[in-house]
Amino acid sequence: MLGYGVGMPEQIRLSGIVVIVGNYGSGKTEVAINLAVDQHAKGSQVHVADLDLVNPYFRTREARQALRDLGIDIVLPPEGWLQADLPILAPQVAGLIRQPGQLAILDAGGDGVGATVLAALADAFKTVHAPLQMLQVVNPFRPNTDTVPRCLSMRDAIESASRLKVTGWIGNAHLMDETTVDHIQQGHDLLQALARASGLPLVCMAVDSSLASQAAVLTLGCPILTIKRQLVPPWRHPMPLTDHT
Amino acid sequence: MSKVLMKGNEAIAEAAIRAGCLNYFAYPITPQSEVAEYLAWRMQEVNGVFLQGESEVAVSYMIFGAAGAGVRVFTTSSSPGISLMSEAISYLCGAQLPAVFVNIMRGGPGLGGILPSQGDYLQATKGIGHGDCRLFVMAPEGVQEAAEMVMRAFPLAEKYRNPVMILGDGLIGQMMEPVEFPDHLKSVPSNKNTWATNGMDHRKSKTRNLVRSLFLDSQILNNNNLILRDKYERMKKEDVCFEAYNTEGDYRILIVAYGTMSRVCKTAIATLKEQGIDVGLIRPQTLFPYPEAAVREAARKESCRHVLCIEMSMGQMVEDVERSVLGARPVKWYGKCGGDVPTPEEIIELVKSTLALHKSY
Repeated sequence: MLGYGVGMPEQIRLSGIVVIVGNYGSGKTEVAINLAVDQHAKGSQVHVADLDLVNPYFRTREARQALRDLGIDIVLPPEGWLQADLPILAPQVAGLIRQPGQLAILDAGGDGVGATVLAALADAFKTVHAPLQMLQVVNPFRPNTDTVPRCLSMRDAIESASRLKVTGWIGNAHLMDETTVDHIQQGHDLLQALARASGLPLVCMAVDSSLASQAAVLTLGCPILTIKRQLVPPWRHPMPLTDHT
Repeated sequence: MSKVLMKGNEAIAEAAIRAGCLNYFAYPITPQSEVAEYLAWRMQEVNGVFLQGESEVAVSYMIFGAAGAGVRVFTTSSSPGISLMSEAISYLCGAQLPAVFVNIMRGGPGLGGILPSQGDYLQATKGIGHGDCRLFVMAPEGVQEAAEMVMRAFPLAEKYRNPVMILGDGLIGQMMEPVEFPDHLKSVPSNKNTWATNGMDHRKSKTRNLVRSLFLDSQILNNNNLILRDKYERMKKEDVCFEAYNTEGDYRILIVAYGTMSRVCKTAIATLKEQGIDVGLIRPQTLFPYPEAAVREAARKESCRHVLCIEMSMGQMVEDVERSVLGARPVKWYGKCGGDVPTPEEIIELVKSTLALHKSY
């Protein structure tokens, strides 16, 4: 069992269906990709589905080759429609929900609008026997999730649109290349307060690989998901995913 | 205020509010729709107005009406939407009304695609509308600069009583970077009494303001165009902006690039520097007025052998580069469109192959 508090495991262990939600720009996709790689490295058979129907750029599909090279299955709209801004939901997604295997990670779009796609899959979710978690990614340095009430309000919007309940939090406190350990600690403080206010566990803190081994990060007291950035602007290269453990 | 992480589109929206612009009319189109999405809730917090028009044409005349009434007003769109607004932009120029337009460019022509492009350079700088009209055009290379340019755009629009455009490719709107906003600007245009149709009593004036772009008398129309021409010439004298990068020492190649493309070029220049090859860069921050003198001077540096203009288009700014260099050095264009951005590796290869042409030096 994952959770924030006494006896919490240091490693992230997930199974069944894990839906990743959050506000625009919270880092859902980067978290979903790295979570898939992390769980794959720990021996799970992992499927990832890109359900982002609202974001035109920087989607899971940009990392499709890197994921497939590792043996991680990724469910996408048909190749010819990958660059469209149309609400295309691959029919295989409903099948994946019914038969998620060891772990199926669903990367939804941002805010309540992006989570609406989950309501369209309500029939498939009803038949699920596997464990189902919906984890909300929070970056406290984004303008509308900088306080506990705003994070809770975002959760309400997502739950209302998706007809599913958020079951845990993932902290993703960063300012891109300008992130310091202080930012991660500040973010962790807010996530702890959020976990207390909501009664839901803090599943992990996502931390860029350049900072993940810092002592101050390792002693935060919650599992750390190392982020190797995949969604980068054209003057940068994605970090290689192969040695992710 | 401390730094926050924002998409370019969100930062553009917030910057407009901090510039005292409480009037936003728009129609959604990828890849700029986040501006409208952000302002849909944020305008309510500041008692501002966001109205989604039934089309870009409708939006553009809402802009005309609000500008005529003397309030700060702006809109955002992407390439095909800007084409629909071009008639009203010409009317705004003719009537000398200030307003701010943001074009987050996508690939074209026609509906094209939704990926980033710089294909509207010629439209923005030379052909935005019918008649002898010009926009003041600024091009940011990142989220911070996009916010700063939006805040600068409103006073510039009022200074010249002319529309100002922020021209960013799709990546400028979609990418996320930390941003820190400058202080708020005063909300009321200081010189609005010279044009605003807000009532003679209201502004304690005995002369009426008339907003129009129709001048049937040939002399009066000619005079209006002379006034506009003087303004465009004044823009060239007073408000040209550019960044010179790695131009202090000698370089054999000069690159001219703007927006996202300049970020890619800077990465390539840093790698080439490590290999002992110096390359200079001029990044126009204003596209009209164009930094002709800066490009010319940098190209004519004794060490410089070749000028490269790199764009996310099929060659548009290269015309201004050639016009600036005036034949003093060979100018080569390189670019792509459709959404694939030239990579740092491609630019490094381009620089090396160009240098190979000048072995004797």
